[in-house]
Amino acid sequence: MGSIKDRYAIVGVGESERSKNSGTTPLHLALDAARAALNDAGLQAKDIDGFMSYSENDSCTSHQLATYLGVRPKYVKDIMGGGSSTEMLIADAVGLIETGQLNTVLIYRSMNGRSGVRMGGGGWDVNMLQSAIEGGSFIIPYGAGSPAQWFGLFATRHMHETGLTQEHLGHVCLSFYEHAQRNPKAYFYGKPLTMEEYQKTPYLSYPFKKHDFCLESDEANAIIVTSADRAKDCKSKPVYIMGLSARQCVSHAHYWNDLTEVAADYVAPEVYKMADVKPEDINVASIYDCYSWVVLRQLEAYGFAPRGEVGNFVAEGNLRMGGKLPSNTAGGMLSEGYTHGMNNVLEIVRQVRHEYKGSDRQVENCEIGICTGWAGPDMAGAMILRN
Amino acid sequence: MEFQKPIPLKTQDNSPYWDGADRHELILQKCKSCNEYSHPPGPSCAKCGSTELSWESQGNDINGKVYSYIVSYRPFLPGFQDDLPLIIAIVELNKLPQVKLIGNILQCSPDDIEIGMPVKMVWKEITEDRSLPQWTQV
Repeated sequence: MGSIKDRYAIVGVGESERSKNSGTTPLHLALDAARAALNDAGLQAKDIDGFMSYSENDSCTSHQLATYLGVRPKYVKDIMGGGSSTEMLIADAVGLIETGQLNTVLIYRSMNGRSGVRMGGGGWDVNMLQSAIEGGSFIIPYGAGSPAQWFGLFATRHMHETGLTQEHLGHVCLSFYEHAQRNPKAYFYGKPLTMEEYQKTPYLSYPFKKHDFCLESDEANAIIVTSADRAKDCKSKPVYIMGLSARQCVSHAHYWNDLTEVAADYVAPEVYKMADVKPEDINVASIYDCYSWVVLRQLEAYGFAPRGEVGNFVAEGNLRMGGKLPSNTAGGMLSEGYTHGMNNVLEIVRQVRHEYKGSDRQVENCEIGICTGWAGPDMAGAMILRN
Repeated sequence: MEFQKPIPLKTQDNSPYWDGADRHELILQKCKSCNEYSHPPGPSCAKCGSTELSWESQGNDINGKVYSYIVSYRPFLPGFQDDLPLIIAIVELNKLPQVKLIGNILQCSPDDIEIGMPVKMVWKEITEDRSLPQWTQV
């Protein structure tokens, strides 16, 4: 054992249909996504010996998925979690393969995120929330029940300290909406956004307008991870994992009383060190985008622009095609769809494979990509991938 | 009319804080090992892990400054539909800037709120025996 750099690969990605009302169960969606990922990899369901998923109690179990793919795996695991869970489960899969316990692992996220359990809230029991959220009694009685509000407290302070403006938030939205116009499967395909429209849109929760919020969608995504050796037998072009930082945390953010640091600040140096690359070596990115500001804060954390210059970086168009760091090129969670980050993983894999070659959706000469996960200011993970 | 919004849940770990609030007094948890304030209160110190905790009264003349804020134009929880726009702020205490408390800034226009704005703690009686610490502009 030792460094896992370039010794593991993502060999299959797939998704179900995406909608606002699937009319079916998370199990059906998960089966569709899993079959698509298997087909992409050129594998049979029996080749998968580990199944893993993450959810917010709104999905089906790995055991159910394996059962209805007609296989009997050696390992199933379902964790509670949102953003950065994909990176964490990939790290777990790598560990299990490295120690000889498994060969090939399928990881999925399936949810009726709009027609079923909505992350944006509605219908939650307020006393349950006070107990379920650490320090909940100190925020729920004040009406702070949404991540938009919790993260917004970080955003307002960060904008104040670093000179970020509303227009900078708008540039993140505009860049990702522009990508969505090249992706017929994106929810906001055919619905471009202008700065004028963004500026005149009212706030939902200052400093966020509706465009600064991610979507809610019904869909499932799946990815397949295996060793570099086994990847050679797959139909797809393997995308190798250069570096991985599963899920780090800062302890204080449970009550948002220290806004000066976020977990991503700790993830960044570790993932670059393992991959032995620098921010300027990265050609394409999938940056967790539950809110526009979260992207700006991560651009700072991952060293794509120095603190205080992130606003100019996005205003110059660097997240767009032809920019220094084309990001969330399928539209991201702001305008493509929302599976707590896994749809962004699918896109970075496809970009690094050059799957869009010959179309205007392909980032030219992209060899190395980064994918970041953000469960909140308090928990984050990331991985760096190569062709 | 019955109070429609969530009432702070008293727990094993936080009840001295909320009991103090009911008496219109700010009570903070403090670690005897590292001397740091621990807020929100917990089963042990979130800074060093020690279980040697104490409770310290800050009295009832509590002043602070807005450290950050958001303005909600939609109720994200039941009971807040008549309070919009709702300002939710993190307030830094003047005497203990390392301690930051979340609350609403009452009777303040979204046009007036800004980081650094001086505020004072007030206690709103929300039921017969419960009070909620809040903030008003000085």
